[in-house]
Amino acid sequence: MLGLQPGSSTVVPTSAPVGHRFEPYDSNGGSIAAVCGKDFCIIASDTRQSTGYSIQTRYKPKVFRLNDKATLATNGFAADAEAMVSRIRQRLEWYRHSHGRSMPLHAIARMISTILYGKRFFPYYVYNILGGLDEEGKGAVYSFDPVGSYEREFCRAAGAAQSLIQPFLDNQIMFKNQHSTPEHTVPKPGEMSLPDVLKIVMDSFTSATERHIEVGDGLEMFVVRTPPSAQGEAIGAASVDLKAMGGVEAVGGEDEQEEGAVMVIRRELKKD
Amino acid sequence: MNSILSRFSSTNALPANFDNEGGRQDFQDSINGAPAQFDLPGTEPARFLSQYTDVDSSNPAARIKLQHGTTTLAFRYKGGIIVCVDSRATAGSYIASGTVKKVIEINPYLLGTMAGGAADCQYWECRLHELRNKERISVAAASKYLSNIVYSYKGMGLSMGTMICGWDKTGPALFYVDSDGTRLKGDVFSVGSGSTFAYGVLDQGYHWDLTDAEAQELGRRSIYAATHRDAYSGNTINLYHVKEEGWEFIANYDAMNLHYDGPGDNVPGAPGGGYGWDVRTQGLSSKLEATEGQQTSGQGGRFADEQPLTASVQPPQA
Amino acid sequence: MNYLPGQTWSSQPAQHHHQFASASYNTDPSAHTSQPIVTGTSVIAIRFKDGVMMATDTLASYGSLARFMDIKRIEKVGENTILGASGDMSDWQYVQHTLDKLMLREQNENDGHILSPSQIYAYLARVMYNRRSKMDPIWNSFVLAGVDPKDGSPFLGYVDLLGTTYSASTIATGFGLHLAQPLLRKAVEGREDQIEEEEAKRILEECMKVLFYRDARSLNRFVIATVTKEGSKISEPYSVPTSWGFAEMLRGYGPQTQ
Repeated sequence: MLGLQPGSSTVVPTSAPVGHRFEPYDSNGGSIAAVCGKDFCIIASDTRQSTGYSIQTRYKPKVFRLNDKATLATNGFAADAEAMVSRIRQRLEWYRHSHGRSMPLHAIARMISTILYGKRFFPYYVYNILGGLDEEGKGAVYSFDPVGSYEREFCRAAGAAQSLIQPFLDNQIMFKNQHSTPEHTVPKPGEMSLPDVLKIVMDSFTSATERHIEVGDGLEMFVVRTPPSAQGEAIGAASVDLKAMGGVEAVGGEDEQEEGAVMVIRRELKKD
Repeated sequence: MNSILSRFSSTNALPANFDNEGGRQDFQDSINGAPAQFDLPGTEPARFLSQYTDVDSSNPAARIKLQHGTTTLAFRYKGGIIVCVDSRATAGSYIASGTVKKVIEINPYLLGTMAGGAADCQYWECRLHELRNKERISVAAASKYLSNIVYSYKGMGLSMGTMICGWDKTGPALFYVDSDGTRLKGDVFSVGSGSTFAYGVLDQGYHWDLTDAEAQELGRRSIYAATHRDAYSGNTINLYHVKEEGWEFIANYDAMNLHYDGPGDNVPGAPGGGYGWDVRTQGLSSKLEATEGQQTSGQGGRFADEQPLTASVQPPQA
Repeated sequence: MNYLPGQTWSSQPAQHHHQFASASYNTDPSAHTSQPIVTGTSVIAIRFKDGVMMATDTLASYGSLARFMDIKRIEKVGENTILGASGDMSDWQYVQHTLDKLMLREQNENDGHILSPSQIYAYLARVMYNRRSKMDPIWNSFVLAGVDPKDGSPFLGYVDLLGTTYSASTIATGFGLHLAQPLLRKAVEGREDQIEEEEAKRILEECMKVLFYRDARSLNRFVIATVTKEGSKISEPYSVPTSWGFAEMLRGYGPQTQ
């Protein structure tokens, strides 16, 4: 048996017909990340869209609000991502019509998995991260590969700067390779407060912008949480006054969705 | 699919150039819930797929990186079946995840393992849980279903190497199934890039009359060996035990903890202490060396001070 | 062919594999546009104070031959939208035909609804994406510009043979992406609501001149189309003065003396 090392250049012969074959994929750069806490989830992306070395636009959202408790970040080939998101949205609407409620997060995750696998032989070139609240109101992140293998996690980065952002999150969110000392005990993962996580997410993207040419222009962070209710005192993530931060927009409010259940925080990133 | 379309075509409610706008797939979604038929590129799918995807890490130019790289094992013995796997997924040389669940819990009596394309295993093995009848399906039948399914897609570019493990009327049963359509019954299997290392440990320690504790230790130790020597395997180790009353999840171990400290105190079957040997540095380094009992800083920095490297304070070896 | 040690299966295409039962492949290459034949070069477009403005030259090339010198590469789609095309000119004519049919269908409905620029754009983008998904692409890059008849908001969007879409205040296709886009961004970005129609026209003329200097598949005969909330207009083809005096003393430009 000849065991070739993975990564060695065994280029598959592509017997192309006369003329060059149509290349149905493109890579549109950018990066996405999601981090969850006890009672919230942050789903973020930069807003640059590029092909090769040229920037197509400085503002093209890659994060899509699905409902009050679910938000999807996409990365890879933009046209595939959009086609996929519109299919997902359509399925979620049908679900609401037939069940009278929004689809729960774990079901959305499984649905995305089967939609992706349905194109196993002509894949959507899209890396997905689904973030939101599960049925117990806990923050949740699901990450997918392009053909639908998925996993629930605390944090995940994907896209062009995945290899820059993920190690940073592993260290700062999962506390990997940090050891407790007598003066300082390393906290448990997944218990960080909303403002602290926001700071780490912002730092991830400003740093990725510094070192990756496909990342930059703008940052969009979607915050999913149990909205601060009118009666009773807000606790945890709900008590954080995001509006005071500036550059914040409340989204939602359509149909039976609750106004302000999802907030978007926008920040500038370097544009060079 | 065609029958559904023909059933609905009589209403003529769809515009003439419906197809041009790509409505068909969305329409299909609404009827089936899940895709009844896979979307195909215009030309031969296998060649198309091998051009753009990298399921076996054979084409570094491919831009769609799929997760893979693995060590999994399962063996049959008098007390049931031990299933043990690592949790690393790689895309090229990048570690895409260190927390993959490579044991798929099909139902309370059936386990599947995952090697090759993660999605292929997850999707098709999850389909197996739908198998139901008046009595529990035999492991032989379940694995045959799986091999028949993947055989029908042969040449289309699926990549899957799995072990179907369970306990049925015949007792503990273990089958290897892969995407070529191969299906093998056996007592001992290991699958994946680290399988050679796992087999090495497994074969020297395996016999039918292992106690439960010995068997679990053998599984753990074998996957540990693979995480130690195979770069594509690592992170954590999941251990399962299939018994007559169904499978039981034993534990999740960090591979580095197993190396330095072992599976923990009073773990049945484990010898105590780490699986790794002490690294001998004396005489091999030009640096100043610690004398016995001396506190040293391993890696520098205040955290490392508290946890000196075991290597630097060990007594010289014989 | 096993790619990992210990891998006992392969996902490579088999020599003899079973044909996927329900698949129907289109293996006839003649059915697809596999490369563009008669081509148009750049489209450039910008937003300005009162709406959007777009420019293309009137050339359709056949390889390196300047084959057709009076081709229309900007067309009206309804009253409030214009569409500019680069790439294969026969595919462009097909798209015009498709959109004509769409607009006719909409008009026949006579329901008082007019398709807005963003709706036509969404339609076009889906047609482009679905053709790429059939591996039978429409070999063009389009720029669609318009002003919404209801609220007067400007729209400027791009869509290409892959179905890739984006909006921006300056858009350029083809060679214009490299030559004109930086100039357009410098002139327009951040000033979209200050630029008067005259200035917008000057910016585009300047870019068309720069393109003519360096794009070998371009022509100094172009049209400029404008959409405001009053409607759309496409100019007659015209030229701008160029100066080649700088080339006189340079090797590689003027007549070679040595």
